[in-house]
Amino acid sequence: MKEHLARERDKDWLEDMAGREFRTGLGGKWDRWTKGFLGHWEIFRKNKLGLFGLGLLIIFAAMALLSYIPPLIDPMYEPMTGVDPDILWTQGPTKAHWLGTDFIGRDILSQLLVGARIAFLVGITAAFMAVAIGTSMGLISGYLGKRVDMILMRIADIIMVMPGLLVILILSAVIGKLSVWNLVIIIGLLRWASVARVIRSQTLSLRERPYVQAAIISGASKGRIIFRHIGPNVLPLSFLYMTFGVTTAILVEAALAFLGFGDPGTVSWGMMLQWVWKTGNMFKAPYWLLPPGICISLITLSFYLIGRALDEVVNPRLRQR
Amino acid sequence: MSLLEIRNLTLHYGTTKGMVQAVDKVSFSLDKGESVGLVGESGCGKSSIAMAIMKLMPPNAVIKGGEILFKGENILLKDDEEIRGIRWREISMVFQAAMNALNPVISVGDQIIEAIQAHNEMSESEAWEKVKELYTLVGLDPGRGKSYPHEYSGGMKQRAIIAMSLACSPDLIIADEPTTALDVIMQDQIIQEIVALQDRSDMAMIYISHDISVIAETCGKTGVMYAGKIVEYADTDSLFYDTLHPYTKALLSSYPSIKGEVKRLNPIPGEPPNLLDPPKGCRFYPRCPKKKEICKSQEPEYLEVKKDHFVACHLVKRAKGGGRAR
Amino acid sequence: MHLGKFVLVRATQIAITFFIILSLLFILFRVAPGDPASLVIDPQMTPEDVEETRAIFGLDKPLYQQYLIYVKNFIQGEFGSSFYYGKPVLEVIGEKLPNTILLFTTSIILSALAGISWGKVIAWRRGSLLDSSVTVVGLVSHTLFLPWIALLLVWVFAYWMNWFPLTGMITPELWVDPDTGTVRKVLDVLHHMVLPLSVLFTIHFGGFMLIMRSSMLETLKEDYIVTARAKGLTEKQIRERHAAKNAALPVVTSVGLSLAFSINGGAITETIFSWPGIGRELVFSVSNSDYPLAQIAFLLIAALVLVANLVVDVLYAYLDPRIKY
Repeated sequence: MKEHLARERDKDWLEDMAGREFRTGLGGKWDRWTKGFLGHWEIFRKNKLGLFGLGLLIIFAAMALLSYIPPLIDPMYEPMTGVDPDILWTQGPTKAHWLGTDFIGRDILSQLLVGARIAFLVGITAAFMAVAIGTSMGLISGYLGKRVDMILMRIADIIMVMPGLLVILILSAVIGKLSVWNLVIIIGLLRWASVARVIRSQTLSLRERPYVQAAIISGASKGRIIFRHIGPNVLPLSFLYMTFGVTTAILVEAALAFLGFGDPGTVSWGMMLQWVWKTGNMFKAPYWLLPPGICISLITLSFYLIGRALDEVVNPRLRQR
Repeated sequence: MSLLEIRNLTLHYGTTKGMVQAVDKVSFSLDKGESVGLVGESGCGKSSIAMAIMKLMPPNAVIKGGEILFKGENILLKDDEEIRGIRWREISMVFQAAMNALNPVISVGDQIIEAIQAHNEMSESEAWEKVKELYTLVGLDPGRGKSYPHEYSGGMKQRAIIAMSLACSPDLIIADEPTTALDVIMQDQIIQEIVALQDRSDMAMIYISHDISVIAETCGKTGVMYAGKIVEYADTDSLFYDTLHPYTKALLSSYPSIKGEVKRLNPIPGEPPNLLDPPKGCRFYPRCPKKKEICKSQEPEYLEVKKDHFVACHLVKRAKGGGRAR
Repeated sequence: MHLGKFVLVRATQIAITFFIILSLLFILFRVAPGDPASLVIDPQMTPEDVEETRAIFGLDKPLYQQYLIYVKNFIQGEFGSSFYYGKPVLEVIGEKLPNTILLFTTSIILSALAGISWGKVIAWRRGSLLDSSVTVVGLVSHTLFLPWIALLLVWVFAYWMNWFPLTGMITPELWVDPDTGTVRKVLDVLHHMVLPLSVLFTIHFGGFMLIMRSSMLETLKEDYIVTARAKGLTEKQIRERHAAKNAALPVVTSVGLSLAFSINGGAITETIFSWPGIGRELVFSVSNSDYPLAQIAFLLIAALVLVANLVVDVLYAYLDPRIKY
């Protein structure tokens, strides 16, 4: 009976399998993991837009990795401090500077590459925090119900009704300039609310499944039920929300930097836009204005497309017949 | 000329896994005022036939052959505008109330008026009068017309759907499982209503159900379907008392009877065949208690073995002198 | 009347929520590093003013009393004086609020309506070229970075083509001149509104359209669509009366959920276009450390979002007869 229920639980998790045999030789659990993963990959693969998004993402990841290279070639390519001694103002693309230079002669391409790095760091860390907190809160709230549920969800509702960007603005008024890591923490502390809501509804429905009921009857502790039994089954949803979380985190960081509230020590795409705007070069320097904006929009697009494709994996209903 | 004549209708559905042969060479006909019941398990094709008659098949349905002659004209060849004219005015449908057949955001009365005004030049107030008439006819409070579907009980919804089907006084009504999912008392009431309505008018009716006892109460003729084919077709009395096809026999004996002796129920073992790749011979072969070798390899012909009694089975011998192939 | 009661209940709920936000803000400002007094006392005030302000805000009293005074002040509209403007905050905010409401509500309504009608049409023609192209447009516009698209539009249409003004809501000369008629003034505002409105519209349209499209596709699978067709209704009737009415409901919900997010974009747009609204004031006041103004600007925006949520909820309840109130 326990075997059967354990299989039911894992089946939930590995909902739709490709039906292919794949043995890692490491034994049952690993086989099931890889089979599940491949099964999901099959579904993901069919969504062409999702693949396009994934492709874009890989390009950006490459950019982030490449960002370490330019300063090694020549110190003048240092995004923050590197100044081309021959050029002291903004200029269009040349052989030395493929995207031109900004208003004090810094190379735009290196800035762009570092921006990718920052975007990933900020995006992924903030999203991870938000999803980790949100999933836990959602599981606890959904499973325990009643008082705990009511209080947690009230808090979540209040957070969700407040415009995140503006909350951070007010916080920076009081606390002072926010460093990137402060920002990541704050975003995490704000975003968990919407994730929690979704995980909570999922938990509520999973709570009624036979294998959970069996675990309760057999005396498993609450913690064990939540994290060992229900947990793995909400993970796909969490993962999905992480992709959306990354986009919002990147957008918030970019918007704040743009408005002038970003961390002055980091070069992000939002910062680049702030510089081009505030130094009045908006109309004169398309090579400076266009790349950062395109990057932000494209990375958002890529995560969004991936998210939509993942949605098909998580929600069998959405798949094409 | 019969009101409705279906000849060798063959309908397949295209799916990602291949073509499902849902309906295969089905033929029967219906005269004015007649009522025919189509009974069979889920997936046997009866609903598909109903949809085909009104040309409401889903986009992945393909008519592979046959004709549907309504008042002598082939419906399958008509264009959209002609069909729209026929729908509801000449042929209407009674859907299952348990489904979402009524739009939740429009009042029930308005939905009936819609049907009326689509085919008649009537003002809104005249149409409302008609709605009240129809409601009284089916036993609903005429004042409830402005309510929304979710405010009706299951039985009320079913009556409203029946009322709606009568709105344009059609020549033929197709009732697709109208009493399934209602409790037995309500079911009985509704069936009585339907029988009474039918008696009063000269509307023809096709009654589709998986419940043979319901069909026994309402229809003059009955067709038994299995895996996309009609296996037996006769007037209801003959079907019950002179059952010829093994499937029909099995179907009848799998229902308990309150009267009569206490017998063991005999469910039919096994499952219907996969219609993606139906077997060559008789489709009932694997589950048939009386199967013979020939049943496996050769499809039985659909023949009239006695007067107005059709069967598709190798084991039924033709009555002497009788038997025309259809 | 049922609807009235529903509104009352929801209004009470949002009042409570607002109150909680108000309190959180109080805590935030007291918890902040530095002398809390500096938050309301302008370094440039005269000693008499300082004394007066201390009295109004009760800065010498214990914390819980300060809190009560704080709430009382807010309810009475005693917001303190803006450091930057040197005027009472109430005056400053009062003239900016309508401008934000104008821009914000117009953009939401327009993009929702456009999203619904386009989503409806392309879902009906699923798989066609129209469907694919509009979907792509929707996807791209949904993910554009707002400040960037705003800068682009300004560059192309205001700077290059000179079709629209670069910034602001009005042309001062026009409004100062006593001979300008009302119509002219209204047109002037509209002229200034085109670009900021376009920015907000572009960003929001995509999302609503995509939701309407998938909602419509789901709705088309419903049984009542088959009934409608069986009744002999025309395709247009089916699409409009039966499908779209149902499919639009999730879009309304989504408008409600996205309001907080949209106001962020509104604030950024106001800043870029120097549109004199409270979003811009919030941004400015934070950069200038104009604490009284910043607080109130934030609270007003929060209130705006809450009220907008209420309106959307009521609208949904009105549209969906299944909602009981």
